[in-house]
Parts: sequence; structure tokens; C-alpha cells
Amino acid sequence: MLDDNIYEAFEQIVGPENISQAPAIIDTYAFQWAAEVLNVLDGKPPARYYIRPAAVILPGSVEEVQGVVKVCNRYKISFKAFSTGLGPWNCVSSTNTVQIDLRRMNKIIKIDAKNMFAVIEPYVSGAQLQSETMKFGLNCGMPGAGPQVSPLASATSMCGMGFTSASTGFAGRSVLGVEWVLPSGELLHVGSIGITNDPDWFSGDGPGPSLRGIMRGFVGAKSGMGIFTKVAVKLYPFPCKPEWKVTGESPNYEFEIPNYLKLYVINYKNWDELANALRRFEEEEIGFMCYHLSASATLAGFAKTREELVTQLASHGRLKRPLTVMIGAQTEREFEYKKQVVEALIQETGGKDYTKKLKIRSISYAEGLRCMYGFHGFLITGAFQSTHGCMDNIDNSVHMAQLNAPLKKKFIKKGVIIDDQGDGLWLASFERGHMAHCEMPTMYNVNITESVEGFVEYANACDEMDLEEHLGLPFFILGDKKHEWAGPHCMNYHIWLRKIKESFDPQNIADPGFYISSKKES
Amino acid sequence: MTLELKKLADYKDIMERCIRCSMCKWIPQVQIKSWKYAQVCPSIDEYNFHAYSGGGRMIIALSLLTERIGYSEELLNIVYRCTACGACAVSCKYLNDLEPLEVIEALRKKIVEDGEGPLPAHKKYMKLTEEVHNPYGEEPSKRLDWLPSDIKVSKNSKLAYFVGCTTSYRRKEIAIATARIFNKAGVEFQLLGEDEFCCGSPILRAGGEAQVLDLIKRNIKAFKERGIETIVTSCAGCYSTLKADYPRYVKHDFKILHTSELLEQLLKEGKLKLKKEVPLTVTYHDPCHLGRCSEPYKEWHGEIMEPIPLVRFPVPPLPLRQGTYGCYYPPRNVLKAIPGLKLVEMERIKEYAYCCGAGGGVKAAFPDFALKTAGRRLEEAIDTGADTLVSCCPFCATNLQDAIKANNAPIKFYDLTELVLKAMED
Repeated sequence: MLDDNIYEAFEQIVGPENISQAPAIIDTYAFQWAAEVLNVLDGKPPARYYIRPAAVILPGSVEEVQGVVKVCNRYKISFKAFSTGLGPWNCVSSTNTVQIDLRRMNKIIKIDAKNMFAVIEPYVSGAQLQSETMKFGLNCGMPGAGPQVSPLASATSMCGMGFTSASTGFAGRSVLGVEWVLPSGELLHVGSIGITNDPDWFSGDGPGPSLRGIMRGFVGAKSGMGIFTKVAVKLYPFPCKPEWKVTGESPNYEFEIPNYLKLYVINYKNWDELANALRRFEEEEIGFMCYHLSASATLAGFAKTREELVTQLASHGRLKRPLTVMIGAQTEREFEYKKQVVEALIQETGGKDYTKKLKIRSISYAEGLRCMYGFHGFLITGAFQSTHGCMDNIDNSVHMAQLNAPLKKKFIKKGVIIDDQGDGLWLASFERGHMAHCEMPTMYNVNITESVEGFVEYANACDEMDLEEHLGLPFFILGDKKHEWAGPHCMNYHIWLRKIKESFDPQNIADPGFYISSKKES
Repeated sequence: MTLELKKLADYKDIMERCIRCSMCKWIPQVQIKSWKYAQVCPSIDEYNFHAYSGGGRMIIALSLLTERIGYSEELLNIVYRCTACGACAVSCKYLNDLEPLEVIEALRKKIVEDGEGPLPAHKKYMKLTEEVHNPYGEEPSKRLDWLPSDIKVSKNSKLAYFVGCTTSYRRKEIAIATARIFNKAGVEFQLLGEDEFCCGSPILRAGGEAQVLDLIKRNIKAFKERGIETIVTSCAGCYSTLKADYPRYVKHDFKILHTSELLEQLLKEGKLKLKKEVPLTVTYHDPCHLGRCSEPYKEWHGEIMEPIPLVRFPVPPLPLRQGTYGCYYPPRNVLKAIPGLKLVEMERIKEYAYCCGAGGGVKAAFPDFALKTAGRRLEEAIDTGADTLVSCCPFCATNLQDAIKANNAPIKFYDLTELVLKAMED
């Protein structure tokens, strides 16, 4: 509970209807996807609730956000902000922390179709933004978490890979101008929106040295560096005719597949073939989507129910290392060209077009355009979490997958994680094959204690493998303990990360629990 | 999801599997066509804290069940500031199999069983229903006050027009239009009059399971004694209660029809002829209880299997109510049969229609919230360019017309039956 005077100070800024410390309100903010993993990491039983915030505050403007943060500074209360708020890193890490839910800041400020960017507030979802940019023939990037989450969060504060990264890049590279409330409550404009004359949102760099790296780094600070209240994100051409017609009733929807859109699932026999194919498809720059999901995950992406997936798994033992490619075009001529390139590449890379053997509904096209395949990962048990997560290149990703399989099989054999033959992973390239992201989604059963604890043990082993085998920093190295463990293996980056935090937030007002604290190492 | 009546504790596994993805706050993702009309839950739209979403209420239910929280005024407000429209459940179950609406209903039942609720406004109408068989406290003898003297009623017909409390006492124009259409189309019907008791919907939505069971038994007995085989109602709330909820408590074999279904049938049979032009541009509001909430529950006999280690699921699959088979097309088909009428659709329709804001006891306990929600729906209707908003539910009719008045909105409201009658008039 906050002291009355502190509560009143917040209340004066946002109004009584936009702050609460009622147990029934704050308890819902302690409940998160994979919160049980955090509890096990803390040496506690795998409860579905993590730590309750002291209060929840719903600011409605940047001025209110600044006001709230300044009150936090005045009374030495930490704050943790989130937008759409999916994932354990959205929890507060200590009880002396207020949760700032940015739900009321939900506007698309502008869509600059000519210069291909949109300026959005935190609670604009990917699907909302896409539905509006489509009206201009444009598309936006969405993260693997799905279209219901915030592109602002993805761009400023998270990893930001998506199923369409082949054509929409990685979200951290899509950031242009940013409006940023620093941990002190001061307002900072990053990029061209910060210049004095004719400020606009078109560039994320300057004036002076770029702050984009400081702002988000590899996987974002998860509110540990303040609060982003507006961001300009790059837009990309919509891959096909920007038409959207869904008929039928849920869940039996049919999508009228727009002209010039085609989905391929191409089967490869082994990792080498797959890596070569992914690289070649990206070199030819034809894929709207171009990624590898393990065979089981590929099937999950197209399945509507658990039962259907289980049946599919039994029927597609020949699907080994699938590459999913979606091509789109604006004209028939362009479409024909791309189809011919795909055919030629399948020939060249030794793949087999497996598409017709799969049950791919028309609605899977809509889900592909809207970056929804990842959500199917919850079909089996309602719980999965990823391990590893480097952003390096295709070969390193494949190397990681090969190394990980025996480790994963060990835990499958123990009966604590679900059997995906050890090769469950998502490998998405971006920057046209120059870079790639690889993570290993792993399913466990949230209702079974041994399964959650076993998953955590496996996740820790994955982190160790990343460092021992020089695979790159895992993306869930969050918080002091993990950074201090990983830092010495990686050029002591944690010292520099901490210096950044200290410069911006010497008093740790922005919750450092999923970033790094400004305290000196003990 | 099944006929079996469950307690809140029976949903623990489901509540623990919520991942807080927030799908429950939006219409199904593949249906989003604009920034403006992407959201689906009136409650979170108004109150913003996560607790006010379908998923949030599942978390609260789990917190209460596991004694992380106790009863409080705030908790009751959160639980009852929900129209129980079921939109959250449709969006959740597009890809998942959780049951936010059923959890909310089970939570309300627990609150009543524990003696902690419902809210005073609900208690008032529950008491009135017990005393005078309708939640408005009106005299049972006045139930047929709406009935014009020239309407022919066939006392021995096997088809009953179950008028419903709201239509009988508050939206008499719907009852009159319905009865006139039936007469003109040669549909013989009986009325229960004073013998018609509340269907129980408002009580059930507030969590009053014990009270509703008495009503259900009493009503079914009355239907049987009168030799009724088919029950037609012009109220969406009565329709879903009779069709979907009653069989969970007492099995029955009455055929339950909404007027729109009967009218569609009459049109197909050529018994209903719509000849007069009704030159209106109309948009249709799907009542939640005629649409997604009217799907019957199904029996399930099976067991939880583990075909893959750690992967446990029911075999055969549990039947899910996903909004797939609601009554969506009959009202539209009837509207399309009206000469001169142009039907234009809102963005949120059918199983993902935005609630009018009146249901779940909200109109009684939180009238301002109900009115604001109706205002949001009106805005969507006006954005279609329609000059007329049509629906098929007296409760929606009341709330939407209240909002038209409060907002001085440039749109008229009619019940479907009123437009049909216009098209039939000589």
C-alpha cells in the first residue's frame, strides 16, 4: 500500500478513476504469462502470480506520464510501465513499485504514407496499425507475439522479431523518432523530432550522436530506462493487393486470398540444405515471409485445435526441416516472376514443395499477413517459453539448433518438457539474410510443478550453452544476477550497461528488475 | 462449455492457463478492419484496468478461489461491471479453449452462494421477480395490457408467443408488431398472460442460480400444462435462456424460436409477403443473446487423456461454444426481403458484435456505463451511413434508444418486427 500522501499525489495527476491499489485490481497485474518461471528462478514454487505492484496507474498523456514519474522520483518509488503487457518481464520486480499501464494512450498520431512511417502511442496494437496502414497500401512490422501486442513496445523495449521480418525487418531497426520520458521525468525527443527547426519523426538518429542503441540495445530495457510515449515506426509496402475480406463465423473463417499472394512450405532433408535455402531465398529478396519453424511448430501454425495438431503430427513424419515462404506481388507479372524464382530456388536448393500435402486453410493466409502463427504455440498446453534467442546469422542459428537438440532431448527424456524431437525452433532472417534470429520455443505444462521446474532447469542449461559455445547472448538475460553472470563471458558488457543505467537513472526509479540496476556490483 | 453445471473451482485449470494475451479485449484479430472498431469488451473500454477484461476476471476468480484476495466493494464492482456479453469468450476461443464467460458466470454464482452479492439493484429485481414474476415490479394482471383488442389469440395453439417481461411492460410496440404480423401471416398463437413468469435471465446473469431453478421448473410445467410445443419469443434474453440455459437445469423438448427465425421461415413458405416499400438505410445490431450466447450447451462424455507426455486434453474434444452457430442470418434475411430497404453492416457484427451495454445486470446497477456503451455502439452505427438502427431485443432497444435520446443522435431505432409490419401494411 502506498502512503496516503503519495497516493494522493498520483491521484491528482491522473484522476481518481485512473489509479487503484485495491487488491482485486493489483493482483491481476501480478499474473502473467510464464510468471511461474520467474518464481522458480527466485527459488519459489511455480505460482502463476509474481509480485504485486503497490498500485496501478493509468496515465492518459505524456504530461501525465511525466507527472507520475516525477512523483516516483520525489518519493523514491519505482515504476514499471507496459503497453499491451504480454510476458513476465511486464511484472514489477519489487513491491515498492507502481505499475504504469499505458492502455489509455492508444492513438495513431499520424500515418505519413509518402515517407512511409507511422507515429503511434503505446497501446496501438499491430492489427490496428496494419488495418489503417493497409488503406495506404502499406504494412507494418509485428512481433512474433502476435498482432494484439504493441508495435511501440516491440520497437523500443523488446526483441522485436516477427514472422514477417524478411520484409518488415527487426523492430529495433524500424524505430524512427521517439518521445521518451526519462527515469527522471524529463522529456527527450530522439531523432529528427528533437531538432528545433521543422521537427518531424522521419529519422531515429541525431541531432548529434544517435541514442537508439542506448535507448534499447539488443532486447530493450523493458521500462528500465524510462517510458516511451510515442514512436515513429517504418512502414513497408503491403505485399499484395491490400484487400481484407473474411467470411464465416469464428473459428471457421474463410479468407478471400487477395490477388498475388502465395504460401509455400518447402521441405529440406537436413540443416545444411535448410541454411543454404534460407540464405538463397533471402538473397533473391522475394519473400514477404521467409522463416524456418520446426516441423511440429509449422504444423501447429496451421492447426486450429490441439486434436487436429496431434493428428497432423502423426501424418507428417516426412516433414523434416521446413522453410515457410510467402510471396506477394502487386501485378500479375511480378507474381509470375516471383513464382518462377521460387520454383527455381526449390530446384537449386534440393527442396520439395510440401505445400499441397498440408491442410492450409485460406484463413492461414490472413494469419500470415497478420503475424499470428506464433500464437498457435499455445495450442498444446497453454504454456511455452523460448530459450537461446541470439540475433546473429543463419549459420550460427543452425549451429545452435544442432547443439541444442541433444540437450533438449535429455530434458524430454526426463519427462519435464514436451517431446518435439528436440528440434523445436524458430529461425527468422532479416536484413535479407545478413542477419538471423533463432529461438527455441519449448512447451511445458503450467499445471504440473515438475514440468515448470524442469523447464527452468533446461532454460538455464541453454543459457550456459550459449556462453560456453560462443553462440551469442541469449535474449532472456534479464536482471542483475543474469547480467553479472553473462557479462564476464561477453567483454564485460554488463559494466557498460550499468553505466548507461547509472547515467540515466542513478536512483533506480525505473524498475531495473528486467534490465540492470544502477547499483554497484556486490 | 458442456451441459454439466460447474462450480468455480472446476475451472481452476482453465484459469491457470490464461496467458494474459489480451485477445479477449479485441475482436478476433483476423476481423480487425480499423483502429476505431478493433476492441470488443465494453467493460475494459470503460474502466481500463486489466481486471475489467475477460482475462482479468478469470485472474480475479482464481485469486478469490485461492484466497489471495477477499470480498470487497471493488471486487463486486469489477465482477458486475460486465455485461456478460460473451465477446471475450469468442475472441479467446478463436485459438484457445479457455472459458472467460463461464468463469464470470461461475464467479457470480459463488458470490451469491457466499452471501456476498449480488448488488442491491440486482437483489431488488430478484425480489420483485419472486413477488410479482417480473423484474420491474409490475402487476401480473397488467402483463397483457399491450394487447390490442383486434388481435386474435388462439388459446389452444401449440405455439406460444412468450412475450417476455421487458417487451410486455416496457417495449409494448414490439409485442404489438409481433402479434399483428402473426395474425396477418396466419400464425396461430397463444399467450400465457398472467401465467407467463420471467424466464429467469436477469437473475441467472446476476448469479442467482437457486432462484432461477424454481422459475425454470415452474415455467416448463406451465408450458407443458398448456400443451405448448413451440415457443416463439421476440426477446433475445428469453431466447438464449430458454434455448441454451434451461436444458442445463431441466431437459425439455420444446422448440425455441426467435421471431426472426419464424419470420424467415414464413417468408420461405410464402406465408409472409412484404410488398410495401420501406425506404430506409438500415444497419443491424446483433443482440449478444440472440447471437453468440444463444448456442446450446452440449453433452460431453469422455475423459482427460495424455496422448503425448505432459499434453493432457479431453477426448473426445469438449464441445466449445464459440459463437459459430448464433442466430445471425434470419434477421438479416428478413431485412433483405423488405422492399426498398438497404442493409449496411457495421464493422463489428455477428459473433464479434459490440454489446449494446444493457445486459448482465449492468443497466440496473450501472446505468451510466450502460448508456456510454450504447453511445459507442451508436457511433459505429452512424459511421455506416445508416439512418436507422434495427435490432431484435427489447433490452437492446431500450438501451440504444436511451442513448439516441441522450446523445441526440441522428439515427432512428426500430425493432425488426416494426419494420416488417411497415412492409406488410396496406
